[in-house]
Amino acid sequence: MKRRVVITACSAITPIGYDKATILDNLRNGRSGIRPLRDDGLLSRRIHSQVFGTVDYPIDFQFKRHFRKTMGPVAFYACQVAGDVLARSGLSQEFISSGRLGVAFGSTHGSPTVQRDIYRTFFQELDSKFSTIGSVDYLRSMVHTTAVNITRMFGITGRVIASSTACTTSSQSIGFGYEMIKYGMQDAMLCGGADEYDTTTVAVFDNLLACSVNYNQTPQRTPRPFDRDRDGLVVGEGGAAVLLEEYESARRRGAEILAEIVGFSCNNNGGDMILPNLDGITATLRLALQDAALPAEAVDFVSAHATATKMGDVIEAQAIAAVYGDRPHVSGMKSYLGHTMGTCGAIELILAIYMMEQGFLAPTLNLDNVDERCRMLRHTPAVIDSDAAIAAIQNFAFGGVNTCLLVKSGKRV
Amino acid sequence: MTREETTAKIIAILSEDFEFENPGPTDNLRDDHGFDSIDAIELLGKIEQTILGFSLTREEKERAMTIRTIDDIVNYIEAIRLAHHTP
Repeated sequence: MKRRVVITACSAITPIGYDKATILDNLRNGRSGIRPLRDDGLLSRRIHSQVFGTVDYPIDFQFKRHFRKTMGPVAFYACQVAGDVLARSGLSQEFISSGRLGVAFGSTHGSPTVQRDIYRTFFQELDSKFSTIGSVDYLRSMVHTTAVNITRMFGITGRVIASSTACTTSSQSIGFGYEMIKYGMQDAMLCGGADEYDTTTVAVFDNLLACSVNYNQTPQRTPRPFDRDRDGLVVGEGGAAVLLEEYESARRRGAEILAEIVGFSCNNNGGDMILPNLDGITATLRLALQDAALPAEAVDFVSAHATATKMGDVIEAQAIAAVYGDRPHVSGMKSYLGHTMGTCGAIELILAIYMMEQGFLAPTLNLDNVDERCRMLRHTPAVIDSDAAIAAIQNFAFGGVNTCLLVKSGKRV
Repeated sequence: MTREETTAKIIAILSEDFEFENPGPTDNLRDDHGFDSIDAIELLGKIEQTILGFSLTREEKERAMTIRTIDDIVNYIEAIRLAHHTP
């Protein structure tokens, strides 16, 4: 059994906005969401990279304590976008709790804020006569905290997949959700990812010399995917969710179809944990086309992973050129957002859906001088009108995990 | 601390930290306020730190799991105080 899978609702909390109109306005006007790294009273002053993809606007979270008690900051993002998606979907509570709707949702490592509080207890308060580890700290920090806080809050009783593969967390979530429906295991899946503000992630990439450090005084000039003067990634925060549904039932109930997932691939480089791998990435892009039964010429827009690291962008450019040549427009959306880690695939998918729906493509921000080694691509030159029908969303993670999602504009479904 | 003071303190904790609306001494904690086993553990931590001033043993904590009302909580605290010979 192979069934078609469509996206019928989406929501994203991003460094360039939460509501669709704001996000689109920022894309059209080339506005970055990169800001100075916030002081965390712990690591921030020791980190060379002082920039962050920041959610700096208020969000009106309306969660009662009954739900809040098991939620760290990452689950706030996750439940907020999940609630948006369910509300916009119009699905009945009967269906939501029927077992036919599952959740595929993840984060890089649960809630580091809560984990840090736990470690603080161990290292600073060993002589306390009271246990200062809360009874719910595990529930708030555990690696599948986003997925199960969503199921708890909304009474979802279907399957739970809690991917946690760093930068491919949410693209895996969406891809595995797509396969759940395609092969008949579930009729709908609420998929996505979230990551909270966290300086430990910045510190890790900083130690690996992978973070941007040359633009601390001008945060909006970094990251610079594919640019000659790029100097590394910028960590960010956010949350994003999509509702996937089986096509026929979505049509029958009159749901708005925003897009169709037409292909997905996931593989592993089978070797180095950090270095990008041309063979592995190229294979991922080809596997997605195979899954979609589409020729490379069918893809109009590539949303590149493009973190702005020195080697990663070059290897990705080579893979795109090998598979697609110079036909599709290519943009790196992290130039607006920073690297939102476990959320990036879901946010970048939603941005692609928004842009295809509105009939335009945004260029890579800060791409002032294309690196010679990335010049063979058709970089989106500016904000351009586009009737792109199919977009590829590419994401690659530490551990050698690669994903590619192929998505068709809702206007063409 | 008198029984009345203990009751007032518990009601304040339940109102402020647990967001109970108009808690009464004979309310059923679970049925009337959605209080669950996670909340019970959290409340015991609050009681240790803000009312008793000492740590409860595992056995003492397990005995608290049968509590159903605010009156039960106050009875529990008074019994613990008596056992520990604290006022």
